[in-house]
Amino acid sequence: MSEIKNNSALVLMKNISKSFYGNKVNTNVEFTLEKGEIHALLGENGAGKTTLMNMLTGVYFPDEGDIYFKGKKLNFKFPGEALRIGIGMVHQRFSLVGNLTVLENLILGHPDNKFVLNIPEKKKLIKTYMDQFNFQVDLDAIVGELPIGVRQKVEILKMLVREVDVLIVDEPTTVLTKQEADNLMEILKSIAKTGKGIIFITHKMSEVFNIADKITVLRKGLKIATVDKNDTNPRKLAKMMVGKESEITFERPKVDIKPGVVKIQKLFVNSDKGVLAVNNLSFDLAGGEIIGIAGVSGNGQVELADALTGNRDVIRGKIIFKGENITNDTPVKRIDKGVSYVPGDRVNVGVAGNRSVWENIIMKVYRLPIFKKGLLLNNKKLKEYAEKIIEKYNVFLPGINLPALLLSGGNLQKLIVGREMERDCDMYIFVYPTRGLDVGATEFVRNAILQLRNQGKAVIMVSGDFDEIFSLSDRIAVMYEGKFTGIFNNGDHSLEEIGLMMSGCTEEEAVKEMSNV
Amino acid sequence: MYKIKLEQKERVSKREELIITLSAIGIALVLSGIFIALNGVNPFVALWKVLTSALGSSYGISETLVKTIPLIFTGLAVGIALNSKLWNIGAEGQLFFGATFATAFIIYGPVLPKPLMLTVLVILGAVGGALWAAIPALLKIKFKMNEVISTLLLNYVAINIADYFLFGHWKGKDNFPYTPIFPEEARFDRIGFGRVHIGLFLALVLVVLLYIMLYHTKIGYKLRMTGSSLKAAKYAGININKTMFMVFLMSGALAGLAGVSQICGIEYKLHQHISTDYGYTGIIVAWLARSNPFIIVIFAIFLSILLKGAESLQIAMRLPAAVGIVMQALILFAILGSELFKNYNVKLIRGK
Repeated sequence: MSEIKNNSALVLMKNISKSFYGNKVNTNVEFTLEKGEIHALLGENGAGKTTLMNMLTGVYFPDEGDIYFKGKKLNFKFPGEALRIGIGMVHQRFSLVGNLTVLENLILGHPDNKFVLNIPEKKKLIKTYMDQFNFQVDLDAIVGELPIGVRQKVEILKMLVREVDVLIVDEPTTVLTKQEADNLMEILKSIAKTGKGIIFITHKMSEVFNIADKITVLRKGLKIATVDKNDTNPRKLAKMMVGKESEITFERPKVDIKPGVVKIQKLFVNSDKGVLAVNNLSFDLAGGEIIGIAGVSGNGQVELADALTGNRDVIRGKIIFKGENITNDTPVKRIDKGVSYVPGDRVNVGVAGNRSVWENIIMKVYRLPIFKKGLLLNNKKLKEYAEKIIEKYNVFLPGINLPALLLSGGNLQKLIVGREMERDCDMYIFVYPTRGLDVGATEFVRNAILQLRNQGKAVIMVSGDFDEIFSLSDRIAVMYEGKFTGIFNNGDHSLEEIGLMMSGCTEEEAVKEMSNV
Repeated sequence: MYKIKLEQKERVSKREELIITLSAIGIALVLSGIFIALNGVNPFVALWKVLTSALGSSYGISETLVKTIPLIFTGLAVGIALNSKLWNIGAEGQLFFGATFATAFIIYGPVLPKPLMLTVLVILGAVGGALWAAIPALLKIKFKMNEVISTLLLNYVAINIADYFLFGHWKGKDNFPYTPIFPEEARFDRIGFGRVHIGLFLALVLVVLLYIMLYHTKIGYKLRMTGSSLKAAKYAGININKTMFMVFLMSGALAGLAGVSQICGIEYKLHQHISTDYGYTGIIVAWLARSNPFIIVIFAIFLSILLKGAESLQIAMRLPAAVGIVMQALILFAILGSELFKNYNVKLIRGK
């Protein structure tokens, strides 16, 4: 057991390198975490943040370098060991058991569990943690029925119950609303005050300045710098992250509107659980117009998009597209009629991950006569088509014949957006188009959406990102429990008013509420 | 003290996959050797016996090929379904049902000129197998019933239907459960190499056709997309229920052909033992070959060698008949176990 000098540090990662199949994911990275510190790990997609943390938690082993925890060198035998000694990580994909209650999840696998579980005592213990850090969670609720924001809290609570000294949270706010995210940050701050160290993986600048004491920036697997929050500013950090300063502004030039491209009349759609998710929704959309649908996630936005594209059955109501009733058309018919869909779940729905890149690019055009060679498909021509899209939309990838799951988030989305744009449709539906993307890819996708509008396409954009909603939308609709609480021109209402509509206020109520303040 | 470390792999290269598969087969053979040694036979002598009996003479080679033919059919049957991530454990039942279907025509139908007769029988065998596979397909599509269970259980039903006729209307004059010998018009021609018959060519033609279908046609694309991700396939506009139904029909038809090729190519009658578990061995063939039609041929030959060899061991060395089954099982176990090495880097490290 080798001891090191810097004993005060909770975590010390020295000279860490890791590569996968010859690609260096981390190169000589140094990282230190002190007690009571919130340390943000900032970087674009694929910068090596998650890999670095996976080494700290024993999921991967570094090729080079040493990791010290409380002054002792770590040598994990299996991934669960990290949690046992006090390093806990909340992953982007939660590791909760949906069928169990919150309490059962919290004590599941706890080393103190005896043959007989003393539930009341456990409950009391957990309550003390909840009071200390101001958690509001129903311990007897079934986890699978909880909103995602609450599940996240359960994950964090689980780590507290395990009495971790180091808490790693991997992009915790991507799936949360603004309010939920703010609440989470407050909780994290109070946890840090008790002397625990927190590593906060993110690529959102605003969060970094809200929460972090120190910031380490990674880029392409290299550590660019570790800075104190007070010694830096967003501009400097952005420069470190992307290697260039990016000041993105969007211009929405006036275009000729083609009214009535899409007409939605009294639409009712169920969710997977059979509950009404879209409740009597009607609106029109013109060509050359972007309607931004804002709202807390889970209020029927995804079900609406699925219904419009034929991926979900409509219970009642009509979808009129270019004057034609397409309510009962199959997805393939709508694809042929010019409906395009960029789904929110790009990894599982947007592509078939283990199929090759080129097979994923052609998934909506392979049926066309130009790709036929007698009875067969003209694979050569299809591959050429795929290559054209890769080049045109600047998709960076390891190889056209390799599985699509090897692409980074940003490049995957470029591939999907490119694939859809190239088909030249009349209606485009984007769901969370830039969620989890880095600065470069976000800019690319937003420009693409705007370009479609300028070409006269009708665009529906579901988004949780206000920057996106405000910078792109011509009209904004706020969705709450399957209905629009407001639908208005961009600029008619302030951010605060929209926030109120997202929590159920009507347009009038929201305006009134704000004028009272 | 040494400890084992597991580390997740990002992906596995084709070459690594091949090495892992071959190592797994190697390990299975070593374990089989131990099993044989425990039965008091020198495993190296046994291995030599397996190889010489299966490949050492033209008779041995021809008998190995005779077993290869149905294994190609059933391997393709299971393999095509696996391309859509559907498990057809029912090739054995579809084989029997296809054979029963074709036999019914021989018994009740007219005797046609040979080329026409054989065409009809081949088609009927395929249709029979497809019909039998349509049942689990509909159960899966309409009621979301797991196809592993339904296809497996339907095997027993199909075999019992064949038994019903064999012990009933189709019983031979001597009261044994087999049909009368088929007329010459209903027999596959031999190719002049032992009992090897023209079913081999049919199988090989289908290998090529299936390969082309899988990788060069729309239906093949749909089928593989459906296997990769149901959600993505649906999103791409593919009718996944229709695709799955077609896959089941094709899979059943191929298994049905195995039945026809057995009764018209080898046995010239229907009886209870037209298949020595070819439907189940086909699962191993397809799995080992990663569902690739051409590689299915290679592993069909490999498993035929084992089957033929195990028969000889039984006769020449008085080893129990179970040796062949045990070897197959060990191979399957080793292959399934080797999946670990495809998904994880396994390192042996010196502990504290």
